[in-house]
Amino acid sequence: MKIKAANVAVPEIDMTPMIDIVFQLITFFMVINNFDQNEADERVSLPRDQLAKPPAVQRKDAFVMNFGFERNKDGSQASPEPYLFFGDERLTLEQVRPRLRQESQFYSAIGTKLEDVTVEIRADAQIQSGMVQELIQMCQEQGIEFQRFALKATQQSVP
Amino acid sequence: MKLRNRVTSGKIALDMTPMIDVVFQLLIFFMCTLKVIEPEGDFDISMPLGAPSASTVTDAELPPFKVRMEADGAGDLRALYFNGTNLGAGEQAFARLNSEVFRAITALQAIGKEQQEKQEVEIDPDYSLHYRYIINAIGSCSGRLGTNGVPVRYISRIKFAPRREP
Repeated sequence: MKIKAANVAVPEIDMTPMIDIVFQLITFFMVINNFDQNEADERVSLPRDQLAKPPAVQRKDAFVMNFGFERNKDGSQASPEPYLFFGDERLTLEQVRPRLRQESQFYSAIGTKLEDVTVEIRADAQIQSGMVQELIQMCQEQGIEFQRFALKATQQSVP
Repeated sequence: MKLRNRVTSGKIALDMTPMIDVVFQLLIFFMCTLKVIEPEGDFDISMPLGAPSASTVTDAELPPFKVRMEADGAGDLRALYFNGTNLGAGEQAFARLNSEVFRAITALQAIGKEQQEKQEVEIDPDYSLHYRYIINAIGSCSGRLGTNGVPVRYISRIKFAPRREP
C-alpha cells in the first residue's frame, strides 16, 4: 500500500491585525509623550494652583531652573538644603552664579536679547520663599541681567 | 507550437519580519521614554532691583496692593495681610484675599478700565515662608476660575517686595 507523505507546509499566520494594534499603540505613546517638558525634574514637587494653566503659546526662549531637594525613593527629602538641578549637575544657591553668567553669555552670543528670554523657575513647594527671591536677584545682577521671570506651578484640578 | 502560460497567479509573500522588529523597537522606545507629567502653568513675576526707591509719579498715583505674608517657625503661614488688613491664615485667608482683590479692582474699574491693567500687587513674604504660599497668594491675586472653567483675570502685574533677611 502506498502511504502519502504528510503535508509539512508552514501554516501562514495573518499578521495584519497585530500590526494594526502595534501601530495604534505607537501612535498613542507618541501623542501622550510630552517632549516639551523634558527639562522638568521629578525631584521638584511643584506647588499647585487652579489658575496655573499651561500657556497657549510656548515661549521661544526660556531658561528653566529646577530648584528642589534631593529625595529618597519614597519621595521624602534626603537633606534640608535645596539645590538647583541642571541635569545630573546640582548646585547650591551660592554656587549657581557662574552658571547663570554662562547662560546669559550664551544668549548674548547667539544674538538673543536678554529681555526676550524668560527665566522659568520650577521651585519646590517646601522651599523658603526668600531663597527664590535671592535667586531672582542673582539673575538680575550685573553681568547676568535676565529680566523676565515666571514661576511654575502644577495645575490643580477643580474639585 | 504550444506556449506555456508561465505567469503564476499566486500572491507575492512579503517578509514582514524586519518591519515588525522595527515597529516593536519603536513601541518599546516610546513606552520607556514615557513620563507622565501633570500640566504645568506659570505666573509672570518681576522683582525690583535693590532697596525700594522713592515713589515715582506713577507709584504715587497708583500705589501697589500690598500683600504681606508672615511665617511661623515651621515656615507655614501665620498671618496674611492685604493693605494692612489681617485676613488670618489657612485656606480661608486666600479666599478672603481673592475677594478683597476683587473688591479693590471693582473700585478701580469705576475710575477707568486701564487702571486695572496698570495696577500692581507687591508680595512681601518672610524669608522662611514656604514657597507654596507665595503661589497661592499670586493665584488669589491673579483671578479666579469662572463657572465654565475659564479663568477671570484680576491683576496680571505681580512683583516681589525686596527680600527680607532671614
